[in-house]
Amino acid sequence: MTPILEVRDIHTFIGQFHILEGVSATVHTGGITVLLGRNGAGKTTTLRSIMGLTPPTRGSILLDGTPIHGKQAHTIAQMGVGYVPEHRAIFRSLTVLENLRLAERKKGDFAHQADFIFELFPDLKRLIELPGGNLSGGQQQMLAVARALVPENRLLLIDEPSEGLAPVIIEQLIAAIQRLSGQVSVLLVEQNFRVASKLGQNYVIIDSGHSALDGRMADLVKDQALIQRYLGVA
Amino acid sequence: MIQKQNSPIQRGWLRRNALPLLLFAFLVLFPFIVGAITDSSPYGVVRGDRMIMRGESVRWQSVLIEAYILIILAMSYNLLFGFTGVISFGHALFFGTSGYVLGLMLEYTAIDTTLALFVGAALGIVLCGVLALVIGFVTLRLKGVYFAIFTLAVAEMFYIFFSRWQLTRAEDGFAITELPAWLDPSQSRINFYYLSLAAVILTFVFIRRLVNSPSGAVFKAIRENEDRAQSMGYNTLNYKLLSIMFAGMLAGVAGLLQVILNKKVGPELLGVSYTVDPLLMTIIGGIGTFTGPVIGAGGLHFLDVFLRDAQINLGGVVIDIANIWALLLGVIFILAVIVFPFGIVGTWQRWQARRHRHPEKPLPDAAAGQD
Repeated sequence: MTPILEVRDIHTFIGQFHILEGVSATVHTGGITVLLGRNGAGKTTTLRSIMGLTPPTRGSILLDGTPIHGKQAHTIAQMGVGYVPEHRAIFRSLTVLENLRLAERKKGDFAHQADFIFELFPDLKRLIELPGGNLSGGQQQMLAVARALVPENRLLLIDEPSEGLAPVIIEQLIAAIQRLSGQVSVLLVEQNFRVASKLGQNYVIIDSGHSALDGRMADLVKDQALIQRYLGVA
Repeated sequence: MIQKQNSPIQRGWLRRNALPLLLFAFLVLFPFIVGAITDSSPYGVVRGDRMIMRGESVRWQSVLIEAYILIILAMSYNLLFGFTGVISFGHALFFGTSGYVLGLMLEYTAIDTTLALFVGAALGIVLCGVLALVIGFVTLRLKGVYFAIFTLAVAEMFYIFFSRWQLTRAEDGFAITELPAWLDPSQSRINFYYLSLAAVILTFVFIRRLVNSPSGAVFKAIRENEDRAQSMGYNTLNYKLLSIMFAGMLAGVAGLLQVILNKKVGPELLGVSYTVDPLLMTIIGGIGTFTGPVIGAGGLHFLDVFLRDAQINLGGVVIDIANIWALLLGVIFILAVIVFPFGIVGTWQRWQARRHRHPEKPLPDAAAGQD
């Protein structure tokens, strides 16, 4: 498989803090790669750096072979990168419909994708006129993912989709993200290793701002010592 | 016989908008209602071949015109602050600039007065838009307090410039002696009353349409989280520029009306009070709501009118409100913020939503803008 995204040795500062000290990662077309690591390892900053929200000062990021480092977030989004930030980042004062319409990159995007979105997340159809702030945590997360599906994206960056959600909602989200793979490539940050191992074909472990290891998820799940060492779970 | 019947859609629209329509009718008839109650003419008093602007109806028209000007200013500030989340400390810049442009056109050019009025008004509004775009382009990349401080600095710069420019008679400013008779508030107050009423209604409708448009949704998205809006593909700088441009132009409209009403142009138009007042009025009325600035600006202005010249007798001690007006205003502001933490309209909406709460019914956000 050819890589849709190549991150090569990026360094990112937030203020005076050197958060990413050399992160590399590859996402293959049509696959799901999971970024793993303990709290504060730099997973979210990696996604934000790819998205151009906290631009790296060194290193390179290639989308389908085209350099995107140094570009502004809105330009990167227009190049086909969808971002689902952590903490169910929806617009609380806008209705579900307004949230989805806002994600249109060209007129008619939402109408084109509506059937697929409502098939993945049937709840959203029922709640279409409600402000986003009044949805439950799970519904907000579904809306956040659904929003990234409105325009035609090549790559989705999804940050901690299962955070703070009930198990039944997590299962629903897993099923939805699994259905997405094949249609769109995904780089996923996930703390919950059970979820990560179900979804990912490949993984990259970030440890204290460095990419420490990468490989096939099927190999990682067999290596309990490695999981214990880098992720602190058994 | 064919009977004309209103469609259900028309009846629904009428029912939903009954209160604004009644208010509109009241404001249109206001000069005549006050005239009938106080036995005064809304057109003033005939003196020879001229009309003299005397009487209760004319006086109350002035009070309402002042309120309309403040409402337009507060609504324009709310577009920027309440709906887009950009706080500016230099809003008076636009208010004063358009006033000066109009004044200069009327007093310092030799063209026909009516033509000078229209050209001056158009130039003033356009210049406000251009100024807003330039300031925004230079500074909107700065976030939060840095942008606010920059706008304050630019407004103060203009204030100092006009306070010292001899052409505009520095701190004294200059009077406007050339105004078309049909608009001159000292010859035909009622015409100017209706023009101001039209301006306030058009501003309200324009802001409502803009905020409810797709661009308005982006404004609100920026207010909630700019990074998030950017990562959806929106060049947020462009939308913030659009918002500051419209806010500046509308503040310019308020400045034009102020200059025509007072028939005087001076550096006080660029003073910090024309920035702080709309900010307070917006906060008290309800940030990010459509009617909040209307209630905030109207309410504070009427308090000012009713209380400023009042005297309170406390056990034989007479307190002149005029002497403690600024202090009293401060107390009113503190109380309003404590009692109405989301502004009058915002708190009312939350209270209403709680009263009629349905399991899936929204509890409005602090700045939901739904009214």
